[in-house]
Formats: sequence, structure tokens, C-alpha cells
Amino acid sequence: MIAEVNGLVKKYPSFTLSDVSFSLDRGRITGFIGRNGAGKTTTIKSMLNLVRPDSGKVSFFGLPLSGHEAEIKQRIGYSSGTISWYPRKKIRDIVRSVKSFYEAWDDTAYRRYRDLFAIDEAKTPLQLSEGMKVKLNLLLALSHKAEVLILDEPTSGLDPFSRNELLEIFADLKNEGVAVFFSTHIISDIEKCADDILYISRGRIAAAATKEDFVRQYSEEGETLEDTMLRMEGGAAHA
Amino acid sequence: MRKLLRKEMRLAASPLSYLFTAFGLMFLVPGYPILCGAFFVTLGLFQSFQAAREANDIVFSALLPVAKKDVVKGKYLFVCLIEACGLILMTASVLLRMTVFSGSAVYRSNALMNANFFALAAACVIFGLFNLIFVGGFFKTAYKFARPFVIYIIVCFLVILAAEALHHVPGLEMLNAFGTDRLGLQLGLLAAGIILFLLFTLLSCRKACKRFERIDL
Repeated sequence: MIAEVNGLVKKYPSFTLSDVSFSLDRGRITGFIGRNGAGKTTTIKSMLNLVRPDSGKVSFFGLPLSGHEAEIKQRIGYSSGTISWYPRKKIRDIVRSVKSFYEAWDDTAYRRYRDLFAIDEAKTPLQLSEGMKVKLNLLLALSHKAEVLILDEPTSGLDPFSRNELLEIFADLKNEGVAVFFSTHIISDIEKCADDILYISRGRIAAAATKEDFVRQYSEEGETLEDTMLRMEGGAAHA
Repeated sequence: MRKLLRKEMRLAASPLSYLFTAFGLMFLVPGYPILCGAFFVTLGLFQSFQAAREANDIVFSALLPVAKKDVVKGKYLFVCLIEACGLILMTASVLLRMTVFSGSAVYRSNALMNANFFALAAACVIFGLFNLIFVGGFFKTAYKFARPFVIYIIVCFLVILAAEALHHVPGLEMLNAFGTDRLGLQLGLLAAGIILFLLFTLLSCRKACKRFERIDL
């Protein structure tokens, strides 16, 4: 087990994340699915100590996040969709600064992904499209030999070709033993590459299983994964 | 911490923070409330907080492989560095007025407070108050800064007013000592100013670290 989330609770005035528990393993891709506002980002932010949960524990590599934050963050990569950092700074300068923090920064991997994503370092994030911002965030997450990748909506805003490329990168990383954890509301992404499915609905983990077990347990005859998820979510909404 | 300071300087800082340290040279201006120079240095720092907020700097920093509280310490370190630069220029100005320009008529007939070590002590107190009220106040939320800045401005100008007025109070004339007059007293006051700066900054930083740990970003 490479990461473990145990009994995470976070209460907001209009939303509660209730008793979220799951684990991530090396060389597995976990798709974290749920509709907008289901609690995906709150869970991810809690895993990164950006949000302070009311209760629950997060650990990576057998170490509790609390007290080992810097050490753990050296070994994990995080990407946050379309958020743009320092919109008016040159990408080259942002990268140079980020690079100095990581002991395991890999220039070869950096150049490979930079070329693959066609990112021009002379530009500023302000000059990038939404899709390219996603790619820039991914580039930073992929360039320091992370053992766990935590990606919040990494495919949103990407064109179908780039999405496909990214899912292929996930498969390569998985083969290298990296644990990939990505949130999405695009079910076909999960269908294409996830080994495990973590389904969150209204702040609770509604299902956690391997993709095969998920289909066996929850899908009805002739249903696609998308049909199953829509039915489950519809049921939850009417519950 | 060195890496965080470099990140602050390269990515988060507004160029105005560097430029406004030059207001430390206002200590050379005769017939002017010289402590406004200290306020302008902090005004430049305020621009960096504004720029950092627009650039999502706090969340970016919290995602780096550092402990969450180190993000706060990095910010304080940058603030102290800029304040130190301002203070160096103020000290150079004070020393020039005490020595090379000690015979200058415009400085001798100065209507407002003299540039002496007491003035430097007051500048240290102003910087300490900026750290205590504004920087500490900012880290209550890590994004709201209008209220702490307004409170700081009011307090800062009350301090400037008090520093300018004190030497008119009977018995406190020595606060406005010219050149090297009453040097022992002046140095003692400077030491007190530095101690207050350190006290305000350390108290504020410690509290901000604790608060920041509890903030949801």
C-alpha cells in the first residue's frame, strides 16, 4: 500500500465529506469519479494538507502526512486542472523555481513531456489555452519521479487526442510502478485506463472496487459503465 | 528556507517592493516627516502581497515539498529582507546627516524630527507593526488583506505623529538630538526599537504559522 486515507471527515455549512476511506497501491490506476460537488476536490485537497479535515488520517509510504509533509511531497506529484500559477511569469522561470525544490527532478523526463505537450517555455500561463494550462500543470507533476500522482480533473479541457495521449502516459507510469489517482467526471476515461474505481456521491464513498468487480457488482445486463454510473447517481439523487 | 526565499523573490514579489526600498533615502530629505519613508517601504511590500494573491502563490507554495508552515516563514523572510534593505538605506542616510552633512544649514534648521538613531528606532517599530498587524492579519485567511492594511495605515501614521511630536514634550527634547549628541541615549533607543521589531515579528510569525495550518486553501 502506497497511500491510505482513513475516516476523512470535513464539514462545511452546506456540504459534508463523510468517513472517506480508501487506499492506493503501486502500479495501479485509480479513477475517482463523482459528479460536480460530490467531494472529489475536498478529498484530494485533504490528501495534500491544503484542507484540514475535521477528523481522519492520511498517510503515504507508511508515514502520516502530518509531520512528514515535506518528505512525502518530494515523492508525490499533483496537478490541479486549469488553475494557473503566476499568470504573467515566463513558464521557464516557474519551472526553474519548482525544479529547485525537488531532489529527484528529472530533466530528461521534463524535456520529454515538455516536447510531447508542445509547451513553449517562453510563454506565460496567461498566454495558454485552458487545455495547455492543464498540460503545464501535468508537466510539473510528472517531472520529479513521483511515486504517486494525484491529479484533479487532469483530462478536463483537453482535446480527444491529448486525452488519449495522457491516458497512454498513465499506462506507462503504471508499468513503472507509479500509483496514479485521478479524479474525473468523464466516465470513458475510467473505462479506458482505470484498474480501480472509487465512486463518491454526496460526500460519501458509494463504491470502491476493481473495475471488473465494480461491473460485476453494480452493472445490470447489457449496461455500459456509463449507464451504471448514471443509474447509480440517479438513484442516489432520488434517495 | 533559502529556496522559498528565492521563490518569493523570483515569482511572488512585485518589482515595486524592490523599488520602494529606495524610499529609505527619504531620511535625507530635510523638513519632511522622514518616517513616511518607512511607510512607503511597507507600501511596496503590500504590492507583493497583492501580486502573490493574484498569482495563486499561497496555494502554489503549499503544494511544494515544504511543510505548510514554511510557506508562512518564507513570506516573513522576504518581508524582513525588504525591510532590512530599506533600513540599510535609512541608516546610511542617518550616518551621512550625522557626519558629512552635520554642518549643513538645512539640516540644522530642520523644523521636523532629525534623522538620528531614535528615528531609526521608530522605523524599526513601524516595520515591526507592519509584520504584526498586516502580515499577521493577512495569514488569518491567506487572502483578505484590505482590513489589516487599513488598520496598519492608521497605526503607522499615529506612530509617525507620536514620533514627530514627542520631542516637543518638555523633558523629551533629547529625542531630537542632532548628529552625535547624546549618542549613548540614541543607541539605547535604537536597540529598543530593534528589540520591539524582533518581538513583533516573531510573535506575529509564530501565530501566523499556527493559523495557516488550520486554513483551508
